[in-house]
Amino acid sequence: MTGGPLLEVRGLGKRFGGLVAVEDLTFAVSEGSVTGVIGPNGAGKSTLIGLLGGALQPTGGTIALAGQDITELPAPERARLGIGRTYQIPRPFLDMTVDENLEVAQTASRLRLHRVAARARRGEILEGCGLGESRNWPARRLPLLRRKRLEVARALALEPQLLLLDEVGAGLVDGEVTELVDLIRAIALRKTTILIVEHVLRIVRECCTRLVVLNLGRKLADGRPAEILASDEVAAVYLGTAHRPATGSYPAPAAGAAPESPPDNPPVVAGAALACLVGGAGDRVGEGLPLLRLDRVSASYGQVPALREISLSVAPGEVVAVLGANGAGKTSLADVISGSLASRSGIIELAGTRITGLRADQIAALGIAHCMEGRRIFADLSVEQNLLIAARRAAPAASSMRLEAIYALFPVLAERRAAPGTSLSGGQQQMLAISRALMARPRLVIFDEISLGLAPIVIDRLYEALAGLRRAGLTMLIVEQDVDRALEIADRAYVLEHGTVALEGDAHAIRGDARLRHLYIGMAD
Amino acid sequence: MAATFTEHGRATTRRGLLLTAGGLVVALAACAAAPLYFGDYETQILFRFLVGLVLAEAWNLMAGYTGLVSLGTSSAVGLGGYVLIGLLNHSALPLGLVLVVAAVAGAVLAATAAPGLMRLRGLYFTVGTLALAEALRLVMINAERFGGASGLFLDREPPVQSELLWIATGLLAATWLVLLLADGSRLSVLLRAVRDDEDVAAQLGVRSYRVKLAVFAAASALMAAAGGVQALKLGAIEPYGMFGLRWSIDALSMVIIGGLGQRAGPVVGAAVVVISAELLADYPEAHLALTGVLLIVMMRFAPRGLVGLGADIWARRRLMRGVAS
Repeated sequence: MTGGPLLEVRGLGKRFGGLVAVEDLTFAVSEGSVTGVIGPNGAGKSTLIGLLGGALQPTGGTIALAGQDITELPAPERARLGIGRTYQIPRPFLDMTVDENLEVAQTASRLRLHRVAARARRGEILEGCGLGESRNWPARRLPLLRRKRLEVARALALEPQLLLLDEVGAGLVDGEVTELVDLIRAIALRKTTILIVEHVLRIVRECCTRLVVLNLGRKLADGRPAEILASDEVAAVYLGTAHRPATGSYPAPAAGAAPESPPDNPPVVAGAALACLVGGAGDRVGEGLPLLRLDRVSASYGQVPALREISLSVAPGEVVAVLGANGAGKTSLADVISGSLASRSGIIELAGTRITGLRADQIAALGIAHCMEGRRIFADLSVEQNLLIAARRAAPAASSMRLEAIYALFPVLAERRAAPGTSLSGGQQQMLAISRALMARPRLVIFDEISLGLAPIVIDRLYEALAGLRRAGLTMLIVEQDVDRALEIADRAYVLEHGTVALEGDAHAIRGDARLRHLYIGMAD
Repeated sequence: MAATFTEHGRATTRRGLLLTAGGLVVALAACAAAPLYFGDYETQILFRFLVGLVLAEAWNLMAGYTGLVSLGTSSAVGLGGYVLIGLLNHSALPLGLVLVVAAVAGAVLAATAAPGLMRLRGLYFTVGTLALAEALRLVMINAERFGGASGLFLDREPPVQSELLWIATGLLAATWLVLLLADGSRLSVLLRAVRDDEDVAAQLGVRSYRVKLAVFAAASALMAAAGGVQALKLGAIEPYGMFGLRWSIDALSMVIIGGLGQRAGPVVGAAVVVISAELLADYPEAHLALTGVLLIVMMRFAPRGLVGLGADIWARRRLMRGVAS
């Protein structure tokens, strides 16, 4: 069934400013194959789709389709050559009917089908994708699952040689995944070559003939799915243990290990020096009252449920990790607590006071700081201005004391205090984001995916700082894909799956729990 | 019938297209015959309505169909006016051909500005078109070769009222032909794709730059021809008027009041604006204020304009009747 290489990628690279998204990537996709691309969040998978589809221009390397160099071709020309792509978050033409959405691709495509033939072909594609009865609906009326199918159908209307599927499985429940697997297999039977970027490993296992594993923008492994998924090295990358030399020992036998930094890695800053950054002197440790409590909280983005009846508590001085695969609801949970996302139902309390329904700024004023995913540095402000903006309510003496503590924690920020926020490297930006959250002297800090897209050595540095803050008594909620890092520092952990708490308990117990690996690798279902 | 027209009143089938075309031909014939049953005053107002309608249709083609919101209508209008007067004064070309040249000049202006303007998206494109129009106005004020601030005079008598009306009717016929093509051909789906999500359209093989350029050039050609017809009627033009922001505001108001992206939007909007201007002819400030208030009210409460509002009320009444019986 497979022939020569249809797609050949050589030394492909893409940098966004200082951030390396894809680096020196070389692989080939043979004709008629279904190739899966997996890897942790920030590994460069979606960037790869963008580079192949022509939405992004590479900063190095070449891409060839059927022997023709297409590196310089703009997106429309690549589509005409037969590269079809889908978007991770569906982007249908909302004001057109489902049928017209496909007509756009046909009208622009290299095949000049006659009107009647084109209509018949659209019907065929829509039937195949399970959209037959919604053919004349406006796309706006489609629920999320059907919008995802429309993404696939529209790409198929191009009659692609190469179909790029970007996380078409994200957010689907098991039954929907089964339908999607059947659809992908049916497309592959028509001799369309498929490249799938996917976090839902069931799809990868059941559809792919070959797997490419990306990590930090580089190719980590390449081979048959069974071998790749069984490899400890890949399991370690998915579970975020790439920084450890010994990867064969997962789950780590760490039940007795102290959660502090290892002795050969002494604390950079003493906890006492950081005390001025830790708020909530009144939140006594050990009084039994949780600092943060969530009782059956649900939330959704439009039609997509994000959180379903989540209950959780964080005691004063405690460090709690929130783990889970991509799309499990971790960031939504962080957003609901800080007020960036409104909850649908349930109660959120801070030290016994109900904060459900308060605005984000009101919640921040009560002492919850949110270090958001994606850093969100103010581009036009200097490092120091970025910091001071979070402490503008404090007296000048207090805020300069906090600045000094921050500069002791991250000396590189002191060196670059006058530089504009976005001239920093990715790691420095993340340090700034963490520091900005601390400048308000919060009672509780939520750290959302602080390790994302960073080199292992930088992540080491960030987690050393977190360990220092832990010793200073800071209450933290750490949302993290990097399981080992988070469990190393946390007292307790919650593991989310499909927006619910699948597993909770003591960090050591969770670490040794076989179900954790299952939840990530996907053998739990 | 439901499938014959879209909710925007655009024809989707051959039958719908024929119905639309038939209706338009009747309307054009009625306009052309107007001097027979209208007096001078009414004919003059009808002329103003026709020129405004051509601008509104062209503006709707850009903003409503393709998502190119322009504040540069006056650059094409002014250019068309100057080209027409200049060629009539200095060449022996017949009037019809001069109008065609004016239209081509409009298209060339669009094609020349496109490499710069099309880099800009959304609001930035809008501001770019405004800058172009203002720049052209300043250039013409200072260009002594083209009459400077005092402008140009037509060195012959302008055509009589009825002849002007026929020319304007002919221009409207050409405009409607362009819109029928944009509606009925496969082009329609490409225009809407570019309007709704340019990046996605590109990923489906749509060369969005070419699509936008074609629409920009066609609309500018129509606007320039309308400017030419207007100059022909005036007999004397000056840069403040011909390149004035008024043309841009008028086209925009007509379409938004009538219904952005609605097939019948420009007709309704142009009628409302031209008639209200006439009723308030002695109080131009009051008309300006009224148009402004109307624009705000429409954008807030009826984003699909009077046409969309009417369609909603019609649909609700039919529903009520259906429930009652």
